Amino acid sequence: MTYVDKPTVPNVVKFDEPTATKRNKLEVMLNTGSDIYQGACKKRGSTLKDEYRHASGTAYLDPKDMAKLGVKNWDTALVKTNWGEVVVYTAHSRDAPHEGQIFICKGPWANVIVSPETYCCCDPTYKGVPASIEKTDEDPLLMADLMAEVYKKYDKHETVTANKLGKKPDNNVCHYRS
Amino acid sequence: MVYEEPITDYDYKVENCTCAFCGCNCDDLVYLVKGGEVKGELKDGVVVSGYVDGGHVVGCRHACRLGASKVMEDMDQRLLVPMIRDEKGNLVETDWDTALDKAAQLIAHAVRPVFYGWSETSIETMHYGLELGELVGAVLDNQATICHGPSLQAVQNAGYPVMTLGETKNRADMVVYTGNNAMNSHPRHLARYSTFPRGYFRKRGRFDRTLVTMDPRYTDTAKMSDIWVGFEQNGDYEFYNAMRAVLRGKKLEKDIISGIPKEDIEDLVESMKQAQFGALFFGLGLTHTLSKQRNIDIAINLIQDLNKFTKWNLIPMRGHFNVNGFNIFMALEQGFPYGVDFARGYPRYMNGETNTIDLLTREEPDVFMVIAADPGAHFPSGANRHLANIPVIQIDIHWGPSTELADIVLPGSFIAVEAAGTSYRMDGVPIYMKKAVSKPKNTRDDEWIVNELLKRVQKIKGIKPEVASK
Amino acid sequence: MEYILKNGIVYDPTNKIDGEKKDVLFKDGKIVDSVSNDAKVIDVTDKLVMAAGVDPHSHIAGPKLVVGRLYRPEDSRRGIVPKKGVTRAETGFSVPSCPATGYRYSRMGYGTVVEAAMPPLEAKHTHEEINAIPNIDVAPLPLFGNNWFILEYAKENKIDDLAAFISYWLRLVKGYGIKLVNPCGGEAWGWGMNVHGLDDPAPYFDVTSREVITALSKANEKLGLPHSIHLHPNDLGHPGNSRTTIESMKLIKDIAKNSAVRDQTVHMTHIQYHSYGGTNWRDFVSNAPDVADFINKNDYVTCDVGQITLDETTTMTADGPMEFDLHQLNGLKWANKDIELETASGIVPFIYSGRNSVHSVQWAIGLEMFLLINNPWQVFLTTDSPNAGPFIRYPRVISWLMSNKRRTEMIENREVHKAVEKKSALATIDREYDFNEIATISRSAPARAYGFTDRGHLGIGAKADIAVYNIKPNEIDPSLEYEAIEKHFGLAAYTIKDGEVLVKDGEVVKVVPSHTIWTNVKGLESQENAVIDSIMPAFNKYYTIKFENYKVHDNYIPNPIEVKVKAGQAAK
Repeated sequence: MTYVDKPTVPNVVKFDEPTATKRNKLEVMLNTGSDIYQGACKKRGSTLKDEYRHASGTAYLDPKDMAKLGVKNWDTALVKTNWGEVVVYTAHSRDAPHEGQIFICKGPWANVIVSPETYCCCDPTYKGVPASIEKTDEDPLLMADLMAEVYKKYDKHETVTANKLGKKPDNNVCHYRS
Repeated sequence: MVYEEPITDYDYKVENCTCAFCGCNCDDLVYLVKGGEVKGELKDGVVVSGYVDGGHVVGCRHACRLGASKVMEDMDQRLLVPMIRDEKGNLVETDWDTALDKAAQLIAHAVRPVFYGWSETSIETMHYGLELGELVGAVLDNQATICHGPSLQAVQNAGYPVMTLGETKNRADMVVYTGNNAMNSHPRHLARYSTFPRGYFRKRGRFDRTLVTMDPRYTDTAKMSDIWVGFEQNGDYEFYNAMRAVLRGKKLEKDIISGIPKEDIEDLVESMKQAQFGALFFGLGLTHTLSKQRNIDIAINLIQDLNKFTKWNLIPMRGHFNVNGFNIFMALEQGFPYGVDFARGYPRYMNGETNTIDLLTREEPDVFMVIAADPGAHFPSGANRHLANIPVIQIDIHWGPSTELADIVLPGSFIAVEAAGTSYRMDGVPIYMKKAVSKPKNTRDDEWIVNELLKRVQKIKGIKPEVASK
Repeated sequence: MEYILKNGIVYDPTNKIDGEKKDVLFKDGKIVDSVSNDAKVIDVTDKLVMAAGVDPHSHIAGPKLVVGRLYRPEDSRRGIVPKKGVTRAETGFSVPSCPATGYRYSRMGYGTVVEAAMPPLEAKHTHEEINAIPNIDVAPLPLFGNNWFILEYAKENKIDDLAAFISYWLRLVKGYGIKLVNPCGGEAWGWGMNVHGLDDPAPYFDVTSREVITALSKANEKLGLPHSIHLHPNDLGHPGNSRTTIESMKLIKDIAKNSAVRDQTVHMTHIQYHSYGGTNWRDFVSNAPDVADFINKNDYVTCDVGQITLDETTTMTADGPMEFDLHQLNGLKWANKDIELETASGIVPFIYSGRNSVHSVQWAIGLEMFLLINNPWQVFLTTDSPNAGPFIRYPRVISWLMSNKRRTEMIENREVHKAVEKKSALATIDREYDFNEIATISRSAPARAYGFTDRGHLGIGAKADIAVYNIKPNEIDPSLEYEAIEKHFGLAAYTIKDGEVLVKDGEVVKVVPSHTIWTNVKGLESQENAVIDSIMPAFNKYYTIKFENYKVHDNYIPNPIEVKVKAGQAAK
């Protein structure tokens, strides 16, 4: 069995990109979906391992955006949307250029921040979600830790981390259930 | 890329196995098996019937990276023993009877059970699942609800001009991928079916075909294409409408539509009209953006319009190897493809109401059974957060994100390697996936597990079981 | 178990029993001539007793059907019945779910249905659906008319190889007989084209429909299959197509029949769609008299009608180009499914309306065919379900056939368009079917055409497949009481299948698994192997599925009824 340490990504980020102005936070469009590394890790069943964290818990950025944020491959960043916030790695996108868009493979990390809104069409909005991304020092959590922290199914103690869900929307909760 | 030596250390070969990963269902895989004893017929080292008892797959020929990763699975995360969550929140190993009884109790007394998944198991398993669902009035739903559900709605709006993949292979001289990165999600699709193979009327393979990718990102598929149309994010609806308008002889008033110059659109439409046989493959890029099923409506209409000039067909790029199978199975048994609610004693199908994500965000379900699926990894957390409030029963082969939310874990077996069963390819071609090796001791076939749950629920409800145990 | 079905009025045209009051005895699923004193008595005094129905052409299982269900939830919602007693929930009107299909046929007193189009590549799917349909036996006909290998054999006139290919393929996909749909047209549809008439060659293959039909008919008779070729000729639904239809029938004239279990050498299906005159939809008229006249003069032909029932339905056929034309005509959602190397197919919802002149004339043409063909053994009751209307409308069609009054009423009350009087001769025909003729067209004759010797009649040794209706033939006047006829033919008093009571008083009381009827030709093994060896390189190259995974495995036919045929020797 050969594990991949990390997905292979280009490494051509230039911090002295002439058009890039350094920012602390970028407003971006979030896309999610699958790629071959994520798919392989998921179906191989190595989801508890570091491999999956790198395959799935990584935001792929355009190099210009990376320059603006001042992040290199495998630095970490905090991505926030209306639905939650999560810490992920950053890496140079193989599909660049796509300035202003970030891509996070589907998985527990992306789930925290995508929109569950289906607009009555059964399918949540996994793509085209407005988000912000900023540099952070925290490390992304491994899958099991992330699940425990985000959902708190078996540990109800309040812990404040950077990986959390937004406020529960109450507009579509059925009210006859107390 | 690391070079790996070819695998020579194996005892038996099993040929023509079917890959249980994506909707391509490649049925030409060769498993290299080491150890064990052949139960069946062996000829020149090839197992021609039966399977290898006790052997394990050490290599896999012809499969892509995805298929190989699944066959050559990670055994240290394999679920091997039933588990129940204790009061402290830890999963504790238990025996089959205890786990099945507890699961059956939960299902039998549930008010609004949801059985979600099914796309990575066999049709034979679904039979029992459906019977159980009809008995307790559950909602049965599959992964289509989070992937190609909008495609099915579009099909219901606009039609379904499809073909089998061999038509593309033998005839297509123009192949379009849209909203789909086949090289990553269906790696052998281009190689085995659409672009590279030498077909009857396309003897030179790749050289006889024009490959077009329409995607906002310059994906790995786009990199291999002759033409890449990089329309804007969320611009798909406008872009397809513009194509359709041009096709119907209208003049475009804007110079740039969804980031594409109008001349380019006109050229593209002209070349699509000139093709002898065109094939359009669309993926989740179209279903997951804001216009959802409307994107696909218009893509289907475009294909229908193109048929006035030449021949065009499409195929949705289904993700799991049997996601199409569940839709077909439910439609033939109960008339609706997915998201079928039996709570009222007859099947109900209302998009946005009887689908898993909507049910979860409305916090309706009180028991959630997930079989051969991983909501923990694939549902938005806004839906998953309800799974933290209710008991979750999981039938799966690996410890995954859903296991972290599960209260009862029932270890199943791996269809197409350790168990046989029927699956439906993305184009609807049924394939009987054979068993190659025996399953790990103490795991059970999905079929057996669901049947066992059914029998136990029947017993709780005081109904005589009609189906004998397998 | 032994039973006596007592004092019914029995119609059994096969055994020349025409409304005789008699008992029907059966034991262990078979009709017998005597039973012991322990036999259970079912009293059906003065009620209509017939063999269970045999539907010669219906689309009930397979990939097309499931596409219909998938993409028409509006149709599925139309026929919803909650689960009750032994039955599961039903859905669907024109494309019912599989359980609903079984229950509904059973309630009408049917026991056997022929699934008229099975694409060999997706045969497993068809068989899965057959297994999901309860209570009826199903014989699927594989589609052969546009298969590349067959086009090649037909072009080169290699009848021996063709026969071996057919024989092997029937076993491979567990099919019953040879179905041809728009020969060469399906292949032309691969390029978005169609063929017109018998002499328009398929692109590239350069073989004509004339050659394909002739070759397949010869191969069919060479093998001595229990059914003749089952032909859906070219030009379906085109004004003026009756010429092609008659030409197609003439092709078979000189081919000698090689089977004792059937009378015909060609079965023309949904002949209503193929009996059109005129040149376009404006001057479209009925040419039913010409076609019926030909059939009257040629006893080697049988046909089923495909009667329009004036409903909203779902058209589905392997005739892909025709469905696209239909979509262009009515603009409703179009589904298409091309199957590699084998066939095409298409689906379009359709609303047949009595207010539309064309639909009304089509309705009249169907009835004309029924009424103008003299010998009821040559014309069978179908609606080409669901194309011309769903099969649950059979009782209504029966009521039309039995009542000239009702037909006149429909024409005079303008339930159908006035064009019926101008463009067809229906209003001038006053023939009315009697119960014996109804029994012939819905049971005995279809069973004979398929070589089913064990069903379709009530002779000793036949399967105890029996239908009893709450109709007293000696008291009712079907001409006046057509509503009662429709009602009671729709809800059998008893449907008995293999000696078990499945329906009582119009309710399904027992659900049994269906059987799959298929033909196993023996005696050509070496020829078959040679043929398979010769096609294998092409198979591996052009199909997208491995040969090992192509066949229908035995687990898809848990309840087979295998019809054994000795190749070249006429079956008994």
